[in-house]
Amino acid sequence: MVLLFWVHINGQGVNPARIFLYPYTLSAIDRGLATDVIRAPTGLSPAGRQVRVTSTAPLDRTGRSGNHYIAGRLIVKFRDEMSAASRLAAVAAVSSNSSIPDRPSYANFDVVRIGPTEDPEVMAASLRSRPDVEYAQAAYRVRARMVPTDQFYQRYQWNMPLIDLERAWDIQPAAASSIVVAVLDTGIAYKSAMFRFDARSFTDDAGIVHNALGTIDVPFAAADDLSGPGRFVAPHDFIWNDDSPLDLDGHGTHVSGTIGQLTNNSGYGTAGVAFNVKIMPVKVLAGDWDVVFGAAPDVGGSDEDVARGIRYAADNGANIINMSIGQSGPANCGVNPNQDGCAPAVEDAIKYAVAKGVFVAVAGGNDFQNGNPTEVLAEIASRVPGAVSVAAVDRLKNRAYYSGTGSWVELAAPGGSQRGFGIDGLILQQTLDGTVGACLVTPVACGIAPSLDRPRFDQLGFFFYAGTSMAAPHVAGVAAMLMQQGIRNPAAIEAALERFATDLGPAGRDNSFGFGLVEARNTLRGLGLAQ
Amino acid sequence: MKTAIVALVCAAATTSSAFAQVRPPPPRPIDVPGISLRPFVFVAEESFSARQTFNAVFGRSYQPLWGGGLNVALKNGFYLDVSALRFKKTGQRAFFFEEQAYGLQIPLTVTVTPLEVTAGRRFNVTSQLRPYVGAGLGAYHYQETSPFDDAPFDKRHVGYLVVGGVEIRVSRWFAVSADAQYGYVAGIIGSGGISKDAGETNLGGTAGRFRVIIGR
Repeated sequence: MVLLFWVHINGQGVNPARIFLYPYTLSAIDRGLATDVIRAPTGLSPAGRQVRVTSTAPLDRTGRSGNHYIAGRLIVKFRDEMSAASRLAAVAAVSSNSSIPDRPSYANFDVVRIGPTEDPEVMAASLRSRPDVEYAQAAYRVRARMVPTDQFYQRYQWNMPLIDLERAWDIQPAAASSIVVAVLDTGIAYKSAMFRFDARSFTDDAGIVHNALGTIDVPFAAADDLSGPGRFVAPHDFIWNDDSPLDLDGHGTHVSGTIGQLTNNSGYGTAGVAFNVKIMPVKVLAGDWDVVFGAAPDVGGSDEDVARGIRYAADNGANIINMSIGQSGPANCGVNPNQDGCAPAVEDAIKYAVAKGVFVAVAGGNDFQNGNPTEVLAEIASRVPGAVSVAAVDRLKNRAYYSGTGSWVELAAPGGSQRGFGIDGLILQQTLDGTVGACLVTPVACGIAPSLDRPRFDQLGFFFYAGTSMAAPHVAGVAAMLMQQGIRNPAAIEAALERFATDLGPAGRDNSFGFGLVEARNTLRGLGLAQ
Repeated sequence: MKTAIVALVCAAATTSSAFAQVRPPPPRPIDVPGISLRPFVFVAEESFSARQTFNAVFGRSYQPLWGGGLNVALKNGFYLDVSALRFKKTGQRAFFFEEQAYGLQIPLTVTVTPLEVTAGRRFNVTSQLRPYVGAGLGAYHYQETSPFDDAPFDKRHVGYLVVGGVEIRVSRWFAVSADAQYGYVAGIIGSGGISKDAGETNLGGTAGRFRVIIGR
């Protein structure tokens, strides 16, 4: 049975529209456990798996700070008392080709349009010197922190008992049923539907040029081990600027699975940490096909999307925000956040969310082998009580080889590592089968020979991923369970997570594990009077 | 009272008339047996010294107690109290953050059973009002249980106490007393749990007690 009705979704800005055709009533195609496709971490940065789109859409550039930004825009927070005319005059002083569109939703800052060839970092520096500007920054790129590889509880989910979750579930079998966790990511495979897209020409990561497919209908299916009645609340997509944050990548669905995969459900699939939470899909990262379909200039997102996503989640009832995303930048954003490479807009948004009682978990970063740069978003989290940055450990509780180290690391959680363990060392959850989706534009990174010329997002399986992206949702899940027990102060949640963590590495807090490996049972159980 | 008056009359009747007019003899002490055994029961409100700890678990640091015992009173004013009491209450597990306690909605039942021995002296201010002071030792049995304990916590330790109060004789066989007792009980709390985080090691505290005493 197919319901036919057409709804146009009006995109904003440079985003083209996509067309929702009809709900897709067939269930997902279950590809089962995927153990035959192993994508080991290579040390390549996520930028290594980019699809180049043959279009005139502005690509991101590298600034003088060494960070990638989206050309043609500048994030500026003027002081509240400043009039619109004064704001225009201020930006005109630094750019002859500037305008200030209406402020986007869920933003307390303006996104100034500038010329595509103008350097937003130079302009930001000039604007920051003005007393009527609180902060100004380029729209820096943020990317998913993941190392997807390949793929049931007793056999594969070593990560759950590693943080004593089985005994934690004894304490709280409800597993956070009243808590809403917002997943700021690439979207989630949360509904079944058919969408029509305009697919442009692109060059895959093997250098092969693919002709434009034109208008194509693409099926989507909800992840059946994640979806259920009332499961998803207030979905929103900041890439397509609509309310259909569909996952065209797989990262967000995998992350969501670790937070809340359905559990004890007829022996199917995998378990999630807080398996009764409500999930708010907030898409702030574009996948490869979002790029090919013209919604974004490149995979990933920008500070603008992330800051708005955080505010959206906080304003729409989220209790927890998981951000398995990150960007590298200068080490001293804590001392001077209003400088190139820092993300004051995101910092402002995180503080806003925490002030509204939202706990935030942020991935600590996967670039240890790439110079171990400071993770800007994780560093922000480390300075905000109520937000935590999360490093990754392997199944022997050693620091995962990719997990970044630094003063910003506050907690550790299982992120997985194939080194020494093979697939047994990775994190398993249900997500999109990339071999018929994202991998069609990144066959080299996926290690496959694509068999289709157009993607489909209705085929899901159980896949192994690794990364601090996989670690952060463990912490978000335990925080959700703690919140279910009445602890609503985000700073207190952070304090409990750190107080009851299992100290690893040198005694006390250290730069590899922070305060240690999150310990679910002890955190939920707290303390007795004398023991 | 009636007994005392009769005794005074009898004493006057047996004294020579000359001395009786010039220097009346001192009143005879109340007819107190050489040793008396007086059972008592009491209720108390104790303000525990581990204030943060008890606040965190039970929501307040003062708690009601009840118990009973035996008072051994000697004619010379010295006495010995042996009492047993019990405190049992269910609170919740918790943790501290910035000196504020956060309860975790997991039941935690604490039972304290002290056996106390106090020796002291009573002073006959009037025939009805007898202040007293004393000091002693207690054997304290502490038990803590929670649904998610790996094992129940069970510990015994000796503590010290001082007491001061006043006894009011209501009738020949019935008295009441009100006193304040301070106890110091180290060695049970403070090495783990929320008491360790609070840095509190004394399970004792200051108790206001009201006793009902049966006996002369």
